[in-house]
Amino acid sequence: MMDEPKYNFRGRKLIAVCISLLLAGLIAVYLIEFTRQPEQVTSTFWLWRFLGRLHPLTVHFPIVLILIAALLEIFTWRAYRSPLRPAIDLLLPAGVITAAFSVVFGLFLSKDGDYGGDALAVHQWTGIATCLLGGTAWWLSRRAQKKSENVSLNSYRTILLFTALGVIIAGHYGASLAHGKDYLTATLPWSSDFDQSASLGAGTDFSDKDTAHLTPKQELELQVKVRAIFAHNCTKCHGPEKVKGDLRLDAKNFVFKGGEKGPIVVPGNIEKSEIFRRITLPAGHKELMPSEGKKLSEGDVAVIRYWIKKGTPWPDGSDNMQIFRLAPLAPRDPSLPPTTADITNPIDRWTNQYFSSNKISWPALVDDRTYLKRISLDITGLLPSPEEFNSFIKDVRPDKRTIRVRELLNKKEDYAAHWLSFWNDLLRNDYTGTGYITGGRFEITDWLYKAIRSNMPYDRLTKELINPTEPSKGFIEGIKWRGVVNASQRTEMQAAQNVSQVFLGLNLKCTSCHNSFISDWKLEDAYAFADIFADSSLEINRCDKPTGKYTHARMLWKELGDIDSNANKKTRMSQLADNIVKPENGRFYRTIVNRVWAQLMGRGLVEPVDVMDNEPWDQDLLDWMATHFQQGGSDLRELIFLIATSKTYQLPSVGMATANDIVTHTYQFKGMVKKRMTGEQFSDAVSKMIEPVYPDSLMMYKPIYDSGYLPSILFRARASFVSNDHFLTALGRPNRETVTSRRETQANLLQALELTNGERLNSILHRGAEKWKRRYGKSDAIVREIYHRALLREPKEKELQVAIGSLGGDPSVDAIQDLFWSVVLLPEFQIIN
Amino acid sequence: MNRPTDRRRFLKNTSAATIAALAAGAPMTNFLLSSCGKRKPDTKADTVILLWMGGGMAHTDTFDPKRYTPFTKGMKANDVLSTFPSIPTAIDGVHFSEGLGSIGKVMDKGTIIRSYVAADLGFILHSRHQYHWHTCYKPPQTVSVPHIGSWIAKELGPMNPVIPPFISIGQRFTVGEGEEVKAFHTAGFLGNEYGPFLIPDPSAGLESVRPPVGMSELRFEKRNQLYNELISAGAAGEFGSDYQKESLRRSMEQAYILLKSPEAAAFDLSKEPKEIYDIYNTGRFGLGCLMARRLTERGARFISVTTEYEPFMNWDTHDHGHTRLVDMKKQIDGPIAQLIKDLERTGRLDRTLVILASEFSRDMMVEGRPDLKVQEQVQQPDIITDIKNYGMHRHFTDGCSMLMFGGGIKKGNVYGKTADERPCKTIENPIMIDQVHQSIYHALGIPPDTHYVIEKRPFYTTPDGKGLPVLDLFA
Repeated sequence: MMDEPKYNFRGRKLIAVCISLLLAGLIAVYLIEFTRQPEQVTSTFWLWRFLGRLHPLTVHFPIVLILIAALLEIFTWRAYRSPLRPAIDLLLPAGVITAAFSVVFGLFLSKDGDYGGDALAVHQWTGIATCLLGGTAWWLSRRAQKKSENVSLNSYRTILLFTALGVIIAGHYGASLAHGKDYLTATLPWSSDFDQSASLGAGTDFSDKDTAHLTPKQELELQVKVRAIFAHNCTKCHGPEKVKGDLRLDAKNFVFKGGEKGPIVVPGNIEKSEIFRRITLPAGHKELMPSEGKKLSEGDVAVIRYWIKKGTPWPDGSDNMQIFRLAPLAPRDPSLPPTTADITNPIDRWTNQYFSSNKISWPALVDDRTYLKRISLDITGLLPSPEEFNSFIKDVRPDKRTIRVRELLNKKEDYAAHWLSFWNDLLRNDYTGTGYITGGRFEITDWLYKAIRSNMPYDRLTKELINPTEPSKGFIEGIKWRGVVNASQRTEMQAAQNVSQVFLGLNLKCTSCHNSFISDWKLEDAYAFADIFADSSLEINRCDKPTGKYTHARMLWKELGDIDSNANKKTRMSQLADNIVKPENGRFYRTIVNRVWAQLMGRGLVEPVDVMDNEPWDQDLLDWMATHFQQGGSDLRELIFLIATSKTYQLPSVGMATANDIVTHTYQFKGMVKKRMTGEQFSDAVSKMIEPVYPDSLMMYKPIYDSGYLPSILFRARASFVSNDHFLTALGRPNRETVTSRRETQANLLQALELTNGERLNSILHRGAEKWKRRYGKSDAIVREIYHRALLREPKEKELQVAIGSLGGDPSVDAIQDLFWSVVLLPEFQIIN
Repeated sequence: MNRPTDRRRFLKNTSAATIAALAAGAPMTNFLLSSCGKRKPDTKADTVILLWMGGGMAHTDTFDPKRYTPFTKGMKANDVLSTFPSIPTAIDGVHFSEGLGSIGKVMDKGTIIRSYVAADLGFILHSRHQYHWHTCYKPPQTVSVPHIGSWIAKELGPMNPVIPPFISIGQRFTVGEGEEVKAFHTAGFLGNEYGPFLIPDPSAGLESVRPPVGMSELRFEKRNQLYNELISAGAAGEFGSDYQKESLRRSMEQAYILLKSPEAAAFDLSKEPKEIYDIYNTGRFGLGCLMARRLTERGARFISVTTEYEPFMNWDTHDHGHTRLVDMKKQIDGPIAQLIKDLERTGRLDRTLVILASEFSRDMMVEGRPDLKVQEQVQQPDIITDIKNYGMHRHFTDGCSMLMFGGGIKKGNVYGKTADERPCKTIENPIMIDQVHQSIYHALGIPPDTHYVIEKRPFYTTPDGKGLPVLDLFA
């Protein structure tokens, strides 16, 4: 038996009782106040809010006490009865008790203010667990002292160390809640948030303690931060377009003039600054700003607070500093990660690196059937026939997948007929549409088809579109309606918008009317760019009102070269074409590589694919592909080859719960996103396996084939060669009045009605059924054949039974038609896994 | 949603409520980031019927007649303001042009607006003005802009989940300028789900909502049963869940329910008593009005019925204006009056806003508007010797008539005024297209600043969200 430690003092029991009662009381209050009724932040009683705010104060006690207790325990590992023992015995209980109070206060705090999300949950539960662990350690320590059991001593020490770990984890999450998630890591040079220029942001404590004066440079940086917060959150309603409450936050004089109720900021005085009051109101309050969209983040609020505290610095000349993310322009050639035994394709080497840093393991690759369906539809837009499938399955060559991709890419005509739709969407080229009626629009189909079929290098293709010849002029000439159009939609401006969107993944649409709120581009930039396409310099219009100002033709990025604004239009367009395709224009090559990737993988490295300033999920992969695409002669077919033969492409597909999930910035790559057949792929699949959906007479474009061309299909009217109609519209073929870079693939009622009773599909299926009846006759043969053709597999026993049951012994044409219909509407048929 | 094993019993028991649940559970989404505002509580209407006079309806020869000058050889063109005599209407002191007497008699139930001013879009092209009227935006635009019917469909959804919320009756796209007309018959960035359900020919309307031609009910049911059984027997569950698959299955289910439902009968005009059918049967437009009425009884949200725009046809009178208007009036007068009476009789007029409108008006002399004339398209001799030159043949944008009934609109009311002498332009209470749209949204309870963020910028129902309703129109 060991002596009781000598730190006993009188009234110990009394204190224990008091503390227990106090704790129990607080817990009771908490339970009654906050679990009984739904959270009503606005009505929280002042005392509970006060108690909540004691959390940051009390929480530092257990952190220090428990950590020191654990530290001392480690020092005394070998000598339990060290002179330090009484200190530990005092530190630990004190730590546990203050931890208990911190937990309770923390619970109060969580109900006050706008904490939430995973970080809060983790913090809360690690906090509670730490407190309980501490208590356990304390109890075990007493047991160990009383009974001197080695088991208890070991468990005590283990538990104590875990408690200390818990303190660290809970503390980290608490700090994340208080200072922002990346508060700590943002200072690390290898962190993505590390910002060398922001000597103020990352390193500055936006607290009242900081009394130092800001240097002019810091003032400037602070102001840019404030301006960025305004631009992202406020100027939609408080800007030149919309001046709610008579307040504008887009320029210095407006900010300090204030709104209809007077000034919004009082330099140095947070309490009297209306803006601070309005952004810190509780969620749901009707005066809370922003009134639409998300509440300002705590980090943003801290910046505004700090800015006011510091006397609202707004140095002159700060208006030209960049606010929005602008992706670097230059190409980059990161060095490839190493190969491994089975990872050699450069894309896979990057994926391998991405997977290991995101702790994703390589799943098994898809089977031959899935793979063949993918590459056939992605490269030629056609479903493989059962014969093609069988020969692929029987092929035992280890590199048969690579061989097959090459074979498909060599089917130039099929490839061109498929990719024509992608390019038509992007270049808004179609056989019919607005503008043609008054001679205000030109088709480029013949030029485009031949460019795709001959695999024209992408840089040349672009040059021929930007600085066109007669057959390719339709893209740059735009759509001209009769009459007077909005200044931001004159054909020169359309050209500027379309060139920047299609080739540079840059949205100039806002900027062609007024200075953009979503980028740092200015109205003048858009006009300077549009001037390249103009016969004479365009008068700058702001929101369709002439300003009397003119500018000179120039590139959006001056690094890309000059435009001779005195030269004629043809020369300027030729200069533009040369400048755009320069190898130095990394953005140009990244944009197309990303588009092709999105086409094959269901989701781009950057999304939306028209906003190339957004961050890719793997910058190195994008940069490497873009650079090597350019260095390899801008060969689109080789790019497809590289992607389609990678293991990355052969990963199992991933389903998305909603279409929105595809574009979220938290997206993590795990494999191709499931795709649905396009209207053209669906139509061509039906044409190939049952009966041509369109007769040759409906072809709006009839390619003239090389003499050596052997058609791989028995119909000519691919859906990309016919005019848009009800059927294709219902299946998502867009009207090509504007550039389309992503089609809708979600089904809807109008589409389902077209498929259910639309004439086109049903009459074709009927005609096909008549032929099948003559050709196959028997039910069993028909069912097997349609399953082979549509799904590339044998019907299952149950399917066979159901289908034969519906056909009967001597199938009628109607019954065969209905079987066709049921099969082509199966999700398994329409979705590319 | 559990799939009932016995499909027939399921269908037999399927009520509108079940279908509503079916529709409600659907995470139909698209790339739109945000909308705003909730439907206001004090709505005046649930349904809108737009009666579209495509091609430019001359106000002085229809709802805003001026001094009548009968045709005589050698008459001066500039003297002619109206080519028809005026007749009284149910509103004291308010006259319509001859041939519109039936509508005149129901004017105690609605408002005539005589001051719609169309936009200045330069050298006139009908489809551009129609695009502007239907979308509130001037073409071309940098994004695909939704039709007003799509906005309403998106904001309010269907009245009855099996009736598509936006139905367009009577317009074919195979006619001249069809592509331009098609360009605004779209839900644009709101997504195809809210696009128009097209019924080009109302007499064949049923074909759009019944099993394919030549397929019996029984066979249709069996086909659907086969489809569902093949899904269950196959590999449906194998690949996990994704929105493409879910939406495909859900919408196929919805289509099947619609095609099987009693609501489909609304599209069947043969169910109408003969004497009523005959009143409406003045042609495709009249039958379109009948279908619109039948659809309101089953719960429709937005229906447009058009006299159909086809270049140089119907209201697009580049010649023979007087003679052709006799026919046009016959087409519209009886059916529209009957529609209003029927809606009132069934008690639906209060909650149904009926609008008659055209993209602009016509005049014999002025092309465009008096102080901003544009390039002429019609040769008009100063002295008329041939009846083909007698009529309103030029496009006039400065004073157009509209009618509104029901949905909280004042009864027996006249709003706005045009001059009694040429140019017969708006001289009182001009009303522009964004005010028209906002007035319709006001009746429906859709807030004026409704918008979506598209390509990162706010896109409002009316440009910049600035338009306001004309509250004077409402009782």
